[in-house]
Amino acid sequence: MTMERQPTSTVTRPTSTAEAVRELAGGGARPRAGGTDLAACLEVGAVAPGPLVDLLDVPELRGPHWAEDGSVRIGAMTAVAELGADPRLAGAYPGLAAAARALATPQIRGTATVGGNLLQRNRCSYLRNPAFDCFQTGGDSCPARSGDHLRGVVVDQGPCVAPHPSSLAVALLAYDATVRVRHGSGTDSGAVADRDLSELYDGTDPTRDHVLSPEDLLVAVSLPASVPGERAAHLRAAGRSRAEWPLVEAVVRLECAEGGTGPVVRAAVAVGGVARTPLRLPGVERSLVGSLPGRGPGAVVLEALEGLTELCSPLPATGYKVPLLQATVQDAVERALDSPDR
Amino acid sequence: MHTSVNGAPSPAPDDPGLSAAEHLRDRLGLTGTKVACGSGACGACTILVDGAPTASCLLPADHLTGRSVTTVEGLDGVHPVQRALAAHDGLQCGYCTPGFAVEASVFVDAWRAEHGDSRPERGAIADALAGHLCRCGAYEGIFAAVAAACAGEFDTEPDQAPPRSDAPAKVTGSARFSADFAPHGAWEGVIVRSTVPHARVLKVSAGPGPDGSPAPLVDLLGEDRVVRYVGQPIAAVAAPTREAAKEFAKAVRVDLEPLPAVTDPGEARAPGAPVLYPTKEERAAAPAYGEAPTPPAPWNGNVRGPGVVSWRGPTAVSRLRAASRRKDPLLVAEEYTTATQVHSPLEPHVSVASWADGDLYLHVSTQSVSKIANKAAKRWDLPRERVHLVTEYVGGGFGAKNSLSADVVAAVELSRLVGHPVRVCLDRAEELTDAGHRPGTRTRVALLAGRDGSLRAMSVDSHGDGGVSVGSNAAVLAALMYGRSPRRTRDFDVVTNRPPGQPMRGPGGPPMAWALEQAVDTMALRLDEDPLSLRRRWDGNPKRQALYQRVADLPLWRDRPRGKRTGRFRRGVGLAAAGWPYLLAPEARVELVVEGGALVVRSATQDIGTGIRNVLGEVVADRLGVSAADLRVEIGQSSSVHGTGSFGSRTTTSMGPAAADAADRMRDALRELSPDVPAEGPVPEHVFKEALAAAEGVSVVGERGRDRWGQLTPNMDDLAVGRGMSGAVHVMEVEVDTLLGRVRPTRCWAGIAAGRIYSERLARNQCEGAVVQGVGYALFEERRDDPASGVVLSDNLEDYRIPGMGDVPETEVYFHEEGFEHVVGGGIGLGEVSVVGVAAALGNAVYDATGWRPHDLPLRPDRLIGALR
Repeated sequence: MTMERQPTSTVTRPTSTAEAVRELAGGGARPRAGGTDLAACLEVGAVAPGPLVDLLDVPELRGPHWAEDGSVRIGAMTAVAELGADPRLAGAYPGLAAAARALATPQIRGTATVGGNLLQRNRCSYLRNPAFDCFQTGGDSCPARSGDHLRGVVVDQGPCVAPHPSSLAVALLAYDATVRVRHGSGTDSGAVADRDLSELYDGTDPTRDHVLSPEDLLVAVSLPASVPGERAAHLRAAGRSRAEWPLVEAVVRLECAEGGTGPVVRAAVAVGGVARTPLRLPGVERSLVGSLPGRGPGAVVLEALEGLTELCSPLPATGYKVPLLQATVQDAVERALDSPDR
Repeated sequence: MHTSVNGAPSPAPDDPGLSAAEHLRDRLGLTGTKVACGSGACGACTILVDGAPTASCLLPADHLTGRSVTTVEGLDGVHPVQRALAAHDGLQCGYCTPGFAVEASVFVDAWRAEHGDSRPERGAIADALAGHLCRCGAYEGIFAAVAAACAGEFDTEPDQAPPRSDAPAKVTGSARFSADFAPHGAWEGVIVRSTVPHARVLKVSAGPGPDGSPAPLVDLLGEDRVVRYVGQPIAAVAAPTREAAKEFAKAVRVDLEPLPAVTDPGEARAPGAPVLYPTKEERAAAPAYGEAPTPPAPWNGNVRGPGVVSWRGPTAVSRLRAASRRKDPLLVAEEYTTATQVHSPLEPHVSVASWADGDLYLHVSTQSVSKIANKAAKRWDLPRERVHLVTEYVGGGFGAKNSLSADVVAAVELSRLVGHPVRVCLDRAEELTDAGHRPGTRTRVALLAGRDGSLRAMSVDSHGDGGVSVGSNAAVLAALMYGRSPRRTRDFDVVTNRPPGQPMRGPGGPPMAWALEQAVDTMALRLDEDPLSLRRRWDGNPKRQALYQRVADLPLWRDRPRGKRTGRFRRGVGLAAAGWPYLLAPEARVELVVEGGALVVRSATQDIGTGIRNVLGEVVADRLGVSAADLRVEIGQSSSVHGTGSFGSRTTTSMGPAAADAADRMRDALRELSPDVPAEGPVPEHVFKEALAAAEGVSVVGERGRDRWGQLTPNMDDLAVGRGMSGAVHVMEVEVDTLLGRVRPTRCWAGIAAGRIYSERLARNQCEGAVVQGVGYALFEERRDDPASGVVLSDNLEDYRIPGMGDVPETEVYFHEEGFEHVVGGGIGLGEVSVVGVAAALGNAVYDATGWRPHDLPLRPDRLIGALR
């Protein structure tokens, strides 16, 4: 039994973001959200022990805040479960709700947070095994690249081969979300900056899974107003039926004319499990314009899916992810279109 | 600020490093909350925080401050789903049960609030319980229980007692497992393990303890001072807390001389490969994973074998060679592989040891109370009665908990050294690395049919991949199938610098069936014959013949889809046959004693989830014609008469008859004192009570009698081979998603022939669980190692994946109860025969659905995609 005492010296519990940023200033301390991944990482030494700044008691970080223009800001400490359960959120952003309902397990979803999900560590077995050093733990190699990387990337962006694990990042990328960060250091100290979600990640940096410094605080994610006539689908390809990290996952959003029954006027397709960062697939998105709900994907879409081969640069053991990526996106497209064939 | 725990105020957790699970278990003594995986994957630690199910092993304890917490103890045993789980036997060992009960209580309440009293579909239940794993595989019962509770069937206590007598203790969390027995002040021991795959250890020295003197350390290395795999125990240290013990463990210095290592079986066979066991003495001391003693075999470098079992072997070989030369279309020669499967019981290996006045007190999670107590007495040179081993409840074993393992040795020796009770509990990484596994195999099978469709020859060669251990027996098991045509089977072991195997439920059986049963289906195809009819012709076993007859009439089989299937989702049905030797324990004993006016059933056996506690009570009650409620069953204490180990499918067939014999002797003893006790038939309740009152202190011991015509072998250390084999036929239906490469088992029929069935619901549960484990073996389970070092990478329950509720087929179990009338009690074991053919039936179903013959386990999406797209 792992009745671990987490090797943690102190926990402080700020009640405002300003206080939290002060506590984090100077480095050394680490923010704690739901703590689910942090506890697991501390246990296996993927994260070094140290003082924690617990964000549970910061009310500003919680819940959705709707603006008059219909956009929403979701506090970073909002539980993952809320994305799937809140009727307004789920109605406005069905692809995000579906991704949130499919990830992890009910117990984890109730505790894990939006911010924690976006900033969690990757699932590489080498990172999470104390027997190995890698770029992420101060080493100078990627043992998975030369070793076992069956679940690794198929779009090889850099030295590390671990796919980004966040399902919410895939969905938020498809929704053109932005993230609000309160900087705790440097010239930006105290400044609040909004940036595209994709800027949280740098696939070529093998040393970390996101670009924020330990002094920065992810405050919220913002989504633009919902689109009338949106059809969305989320799909994860995995061996087990539930509670499994996906091999590949996809979120497809189709903005259709005539309140959802007309042809696609704009599409957003994002995928996970394939690269160090979640990816948008602009070629597939373009091909989907003009597709009709209630019909299968047309030849131009299938051609764009074929073209995903060009995007891929498989590792020795991840060649299967090329057809799996195509299949997953195709299935998600068919679900979003409500194709009669599937 | 306080925390409310189960409705009562409780001091807020103040230690920032504590997990909520640790706070509840160790500080508040609420041990119903179990910790199994430590990573939030299994759900055993689930509690309610402000009403929401939460994984308490990952939750910082201080997050409980100001919140309202409900643990399984707080459900009070009166939640409808707790009653339902007991009534539908939705549990086996009981270790995961509190977590299931807590989560299901929320689901049931929410379902009824939203949908009224109605039964949810399986999918809705699987969604709600997606965060829970039951390694015993009691999912059928759990589905039934949750649905019944949702339908409002358990709002009051049911009239009937649950089928499993200890179910109430398990659903309420009051059943105490070994880790729950650490007394106040117990120290924690941690094992120091090898970080290199092969080395000679020169010196092991402890780092400084708190007062500067060396930390307490005991040596766990063998006499040859060689470590042969990463993870091998070298030493153990102890400290008052686990955190401190881990610090001591880090500070232990191991001076070693590295030796060349080989971790890949292919490379291990190559000329010039480093040899693991260069001397005869080392080879003789190699660990073995066979259930019975491993017969001698020659060695060549890292390859041991062949162990040959033949029947007209030269004839078989010459026929097969000639057929190969002439390219005979009725020669099927195929190679199959299986992956390493890890037992991974949810309760890890754990021991709590203490010494008092020279006596040794032990709580051990073991499948063999009597045997481990004997071994402990021998190892520490104690009279047997000075070893006091107690194992009240065991959280699963599946073959991994049969030895005086490192946790026991470390706890005992550390406790002697430090003068405190010491608990040694493996974490999940240790459990998945060095607590046993079913070795991977590479098996080549050749079958030759004659023009008349008869089996003319068979050969099976199997190479076991058991790391540093030996004991391949997959090939020899094939020799017991399909009549007496000429055959040769050869077993080989290839040793590498990787962890050793242990016998796992039906050792050798599932890999044998995976190869043989698919080859038989291939032959049926060549012969253009129905796979069932081919087996009916080839298989002389009358019990399986009876099962084949049932299959022929089974809608699942009879109405299966025929012809080529197209489209994305393809349905297929396959079957597989299996057999298993009948083993028994001739030394099994059961004591009946009258104590305080009650009849107590005692034996030093143990219940790992199979239900032997229940069987003993039921047999005695039936035999005397009294109510089981009038008895008390006490097992799991080494001071009782000898009890059988729970392995080799022999517990029930050995202990059941001993209990019946004890009941008969008790009847005689009672009659001497109370002539009103009838010589046979039910003892009327008032007569029984009066007889017991007059018989205070009377004790009898029942024995396992001999079968008619005797056994096939003499008694070998409480093990003998009996006459006849159990049989099984599995029919599996799958749906293959050819786009995403996923196989979904939808329905399964398990026909089991093991004679008379004891405790029917419990036996059925075990067979349903075997289907779950077989599905895991077929689709998900695979230990993955770093190719360079042999480090086990899949050392957690997210990377080592066992089936959840949503991954298993609806399962129907059928018992054929004839054929063992010569056996005392009429029935033999079924724990192993019920798992052997499951994966093979699934493989045949996948072929039926897709026309693609799978050869390698598990059937991962990448393999299906590679084959089908």
